[in-house]
Amino acid sequence: MKRLLRAIIRLVLILTGFLFIFNLPLLLGIGKDSVEVNFNMFWENVKADFQYLLQIKDAMYLSFFKELDISGSYKYTMTILLGSLAVIILVAMVMAILILIAPKKVRNRLKSGVNLFEAVPDLLIIFLFQFFVITLYKSTGLKFLQLYGFMDVKPYFVPIVTVSFLPLFLLLQFLIRVIIEEQNQPYVLYVKAKGMGRLRTLLVHIIRNIFPLLVLQLRTIIWVLLSNIYLVEFMFNINGFNRQFGNVIFRGGDFASLIASLLMLSIPLLVIEAAGWLISKQIKGKEVIGL
Amino acid sequence: MRTYKKTLIGSTLLLILLLMSCLYPYYGPIDFNHQVLVKDEHGKIIDRAPFPPSEKHWLGTTRNGEDLHWLLLYGAKFTLITAFSVAVLRVLLGGIFGMFLSLWAPFLKSYFNDFFLSMRYIPSILIAYILMKSIVGAPNDVAITSIVTYQLIILVFIGFPSVTLFASDITDELLKTSFVQSSYLLGAGKLHIVRRQLLPYMRSYGILFTVQQIISTLQITMQLSIFGLFLGGINRAGIFGYDDAEDRPKPASLSNEWAGLIGQNFTEFVLSPWIVFVPVFGFFLVIVIVNMIKKELEDNILGIQTMKMKRNKKEVPLSVKIPSKGKFDLIN
Repeated sequence: MKRLLRAIIRLVLILTGFLFIFNLPLLLGIGKDSVEVNFNMFWENVKADFQYLLQIKDAMYLSFFKELDISGSYKYTMTILLGSLAVIILVAMVMAILILIAPKKVRNRLKSGVNLFEAVPDLLIIFLFQFFVITLYKSTGLKFLQLYGFMDVKPYFVPIVTVSFLPLFLLLQFLIRVIIEEQNQPYVLYVKAKGMGRLRTLLVHIIRNIFPLLVLQLRTIIWVLLSNIYLVEFMFNINGFNRQFGNVIFRGGDFASLIASLLMLSIPLLVIEAAGWLISKQIKGKEVIGL
Repeated sequence: MRTYKKTLIGSTLLLILLLMSCLYPYYGPIDFNHQVLVKDEHGKIIDRAPFPPSEKHWLGTTRNGEDLHWLLLYGAKFTLITAFSVAVLRVLLGGIFGMFLSLWAPFLKSYFNDFFLSMRYIPSILIAYILMKSIVGAPNDVAITSIVTYQLIILVFIGFPSVTLFASDITDELLKTSFVQSSYLLGAGKLHIVRRQLLPYMRSYGILFTVQQIISTLQITMQLSIFGLFLGGINRAGIFGYDDAEDRPKPASLSNEWAGLIGQNFTEFVLSPWIVFVPVFGFFLVIVIVNMIKKELEDNILGIQTMKMKRNKKEVPLSVKIPSKGKFDLIN
C-alpha cells in the first residue's frame, strides 16, 4: 500500500514537472523592459494542458501526431543511433586494446592524444566533415558520399561517421581509464604469475569484468549521440524523426503529441537504463552468493 | 602537490581577451572595416564580399563585408561574460539548494529528482530550444535587456537540476565523514556545520564545477545558435544580399557574439567556409583553455584524496585501491 502510494506520488510529480518545464515560457512573459512573471496565464495553460491529456477517448486525440510520417522517420533516426552505437563500441574496444598492448612510450603518447579530443566542440567536427566531403567532391567530381537529405533520399554513411566521432573518443577514454584501474586488481597479478599472456588476460578476463561498467557508461554515450543526431539532421536537412519533432512544436502540435514524441525519443535511454539496472542487480546477487 | 600554473596562464589569457574586447571602442574601427564592393581605378566592380582570408583581411570577411577578426574581438565579451555568469549562477543556486536539500530536507530529494526527471531523458539542447523559440526566435520590439534576462534564466534553469543533485550528493558524502559526525556529537548546529566543515570543501568543488559549467554553457549557446536563437536576439538589418521573396532580411545576430556569428552564417558554409570556421575555432580555443584549467583543478582535488589515501595505507598495510572519485563526466 505504501509502495503504491509512493508510485502514485512519483507519477504525479513527473507529470507536474513536465507541465511546469514546458509551460515555463508562459510563466516568464517578456515585458517592455523587464521579465514579467504572470502566474495566471501559466496556471490556465497548465490546467488546459492537463485536461487535454485526460481526454484519451476523444477521437481527435493525437490526431496531429498520427498525420506525421512517424514510423519511417523514427526508423531512420534509430538506425542512425544503433549504427553509430555499434560502430562506437566496436572501434573503441579495438582501439583501447591496441593502445593498451602498445609499448609504454607509445601508449602514453596515444593516451594524451585521446584526451585532446575532450575539448573539441561537436559543431567543429560536423563542419570539418562537411568540409571534407565537399572538398572531396570538388577535387574528384565523384559524388559517392551523400551529404544532404533531399526529398526522400536519406544518407546513412556521413551522418553515422559524423555523429559517432566524438562519443567514440569519450568511450575510448573511459575504457582506457577503467581497464588500467582493473589491471591493479590482484587477480590480474595472479593470472600473470600463472603465465598467461597479456593479450589473453585483457581479452578474456578484464573485458568480461568491465562489461557492467561499460553498459552503465553507454547511457552517457547515447545521450550525447541523441543531441548530436538532432544537430546533424537539422544541419544536413535530413527528414528524420527530429524534423517531425520540429513539426510537432511549430505547426500547432498539441501537448499530448509533444509528450508522445519526447517519449519516443527517450526510449533508447530507457532501454539502456533497464539493461544497466538488470546487470547491476545480477552482480549484487552474485556477490551475495559469493559471500 | 597543488599547482595553479595552468590555471593562472589560462585565466590570464581569457582575461586579456575579455579586456581587449571591452576596450574595443577605443581602438577598433566602429564599422569593422565595412566594405562590400571592391572597385578598380576605373570604378568598375571587380569583387564583392565575402572576401577570403588575405593580407588585407586577416581572417576574411563576412557577407556584409565586415572584417572577421574585428568582429570576433568585439563579440568575445558577450560570449565570455554570458558563459561565466550562467555558470556562476548555476553553481551558486544549485549548490545552495543542494546543500539545503541534504541538510534540512533529505526527504525532498527524491521528489526533486522526480520533478525534474524529464530533463534527464531529453537532451538539454531540445529543452532549451523549446523554451526559447517562442520568445527569441522572431524579431520583436521588446528591449534587449528583457530578452537577455530571459535567455539567462533559461540557460541557468537547464543546468540547475543536475548541479543541485550533484551538490546534494557531495554534501551527503561529506556528512558521513567522521569529522562532521563528531562535530554533531559535540553539539554543533547545522549552520555551524555548513560554515565550518562543508564550506571549505564546497569552495574547491564549486570552482571546479563553475569551470565545468562554463564549458557546457559554451557548447549549448553554440548549438542554440544553429537554430537561430542568438544571445541578445536578432538584428533587424540582417545580412546583405539575402532578402527573401517578401523582402525580409535573413536574421543576423544583434550582438555579434561568437555563437551568433556561427548561427547566422552556417548556411554559407559551402561557398565561404572561413566565415564559419573562424568563430568555431575561436570557441575551440576558449574551450581548450577552460578545459586545461578544469583538468588541473580536478587533479588538485584528486591529488588531495590520493595523498590522504597513501597516509592511510601506511597505517593499514592491506589497503584498498585508490578510488577514482573526483572525475566528472561532462554531459552537455
